[in-house]
Amino acid sequence: MGLDIRVPLGAIFLIVGGIMSVYGIVTRSSSIYEKSMGINLNLWWGVAMLVFGGVMFFFGRQQKWQDDPVTPRPWERGEGPRH
Amino acid sequence: MNLSYIDWLIMLVYFVFVLGIGFALKRYMRTSNDFFLAGRSIPAWVCGLAFISANLGAQEVIGMGASGAKYGIVTSHFYWIGAIPAMVFVGVFMMPFYYGSKARSVPEYLRLRFDEKTRAVNAITFAIMTVFSSGISMYAMALLIQTLGLFRGIIPDQYIFHVSVILSAAIVLAYIFLGGLTSAIYNEVLQFFLIVAAFAPLVWIGLKNVGGWNGIKHTLPATMTHSWRGMGHASTNSLGVEWVGLAMGLGFVLSFGYWCTDFLVVQRALAADSEESARKVPLIAAIPKMFFPFLVILPGLIAVSVTSHMAQPAASTMQHAQSSTVTHQALPEGPGRPHGLIPVKTDPRSGREQFDSNGNVVYDYDLAIPVMLLHFFPTGILGLGLTALLASFMSGMAGNVTAFNTVWTYDIYQAYINKKGTDQHYLWMGRMATVGGIVLSVGAAYAATSFNNIMDALQLIFSLVNAPLFATFLLGMFWKRTTGHGAFTGLIFGTGAALAHHGLTLPDGAIPGIHGGWINVIHHYPSDMAQNFWTAIFAFSVNFIVTVLVSLVTKPRKEFELVGLVYSLTPRPVEAHLNWWQKPATLGIGVLVLLVALNLIFA
Repeated sequence: MGLDIRVPLGAIFLIVGGIMSVYGIVTRSSSIYEKSMGINLNLWWGVAMLVFGGVMFFFGRQQKWQDDPVTPRPWERGEGPRH
Repeated sequence: MNLSYIDWLIMLVYFVFVLGIGFALKRYMRTSNDFFLAGRSIPAWVCGLAFISANLGAQEVIGMGASGAKYGIVTSHFYWIGAIPAMVFVGVFMMPFYYGSKARSVPEYLRLRFDEKTRAVNAITFAIMTVFSSGISMYAMALLIQTLGLFRGIIPDQYIFHVSVILSAAIVLAYIFLGGLTSAIYNEVLQFFLIVAAFAPLVWIGLKNVGGWNGIKHTLPATMTHSWRGMGHASTNSLGVEWVGLAMGLGFVLSFGYWCTDFLVVQRALAADSEESARKVPLIAAIPKMFFPFLVILPGLIAVSVTSHMAQPAASTMQHAQSSTVTHQALPEGPGRPHGLIPVKTDPRSGREQFDSNGNVVYDYDLAIPVMLLHFFPTGILGLGLTALLASFMSGMAGNVTAFNTVWTYDIYQAYINKKGTDQHYLWMGRMATVGGIVLSVGAAYAATSFNNIMDALQLIFSLVNAPLFATFLLGMFWKRTTGHGAFTGLIFGTGAALAHHGLTLPDGAIPGIHGGWINVIHHYPSDMAQNFWTAIFAFSVNFIVTVLVSLVTKPRKEFELVGLVYSLTPRPVEAHLNWWQKPATLGIGVLVLLVALNLIFA
């Protein structure tokens, strides 16, 4: 399909990871982290998600043909894998 | 339950993406092939993740956590024995026939290989089952939302159930209507990563809390932390099954019957961009599948190991949907069992605690995973955890709906109602079938609220229909002499045998009726899981024998008609251009080696 899944996948992880890390920084000395044994899960896991999202987004954008629905997509060019 | 704006914001982001993917894909839905088979253009890894996500619905996440809390690590047999070998088999041996025959669905393969009547039986029973499964997923989701009090204070309590059902139905409808199978697959991939992202920190922080795996071993009885201990006899393990029933019933008949013949999962592989990719799809799926017990079963074990009791969640606890894969009867409840965080089951009307016939309180194991999320996650990441739960419910529904619209359009509508429509007409029909499937699912969800034991009844029907199927496919693909009459008769007799076996046996402690023994009780099983496994074994054997016998006395099809459909008449897939590590067989062997290693570690 014309949309590479890594683009929306990367984007959602960037956004959710971003929200969580910012919230984690804001609430860094809050008592809500007593639940998670004193670990600021929002900040650390948010950053981890940001990194993952960034990698996915970057590799998803490498495939340029997705932006151009007029030129035949790889499976329409005929020399693709055997069917 | 108190959610802050940040939790709602994360959930909102997810729903925006779900619908956004549907809209973004709309312009690519030009032919029915795009809509039903994703244009056969999806890379193997994407299909592979969708392959396991489609199956990772409500019943799995909630049910596996529940039985982890109840039975222990032995639940991982449902993954390690009950899925991986079958996934390797379907990838290495069966996929060349599904993908190579150009069949657009599993029932269509049956028509190509056998005849119209065999396809009709499979298509109709399958369509009915998908509608009910997606309805049950919807029901379980609405019930969980109600139990957790997710919308409390926003919507009046008595409407929460209805709003949850309508909302989830509308969202799933929108994204499948717009983007078809591609949309469903993409959302399943999204859901897969969200579940991992939400459950991995949960397991990590939980393990830290209970002192790691050794801490769990220290707190819980040995049968809960060893997957093979006591499997020699039904009375010495918590499942109530001996290893023969487990290996043959679950490991062979039921799991091969599901993973190798169920169009819900096979459809994901048919969307792959080449035959090689299609063969790799189940093998790629097997790798994360193998490690999923650590994400969904381990939280259950942690939940019972945590010694400090937390305050009950503010919600009133509703009587909860039983998991469809595991029935909760085998292990006797006793005061000596650790319960950790598991809340007591309360009566939905009176709000009072429930007691069993011996006067002990009943624990609501289905809440193991939700309670873990509430216990360990501060606001913020809690939103992520709830998003992952909702995502899994919706993907379970979506998988069934896409399978339904394809089977309805290609195998029922095009085959028997309107043979000569244009492709655009079938594309339109697929969208209409999506609407119809969702409406029927909502109906099934409400049916589940009004009949107490509809879950038991449906689970019974599924097992009766599914159990004999694998024999038909096995003989069809690997014995060229099998005839259409043989396959059809075998299927009917196999289902009949399952029905008869169910009517003649009873699990210990159950009364004759929906649990069996409605003809006459001639044998008692130690647990209903054992009964279920042996029903499957009988159904499979009878189907196998009847199919062989009838095939021998009926006229086989000419060999040239079966090229591409039967193993011995089909040229082996060309693999010369692949390096040894790219070959499906290598991947399959690698997966099996890992599987053995995992079983040895947790034996």
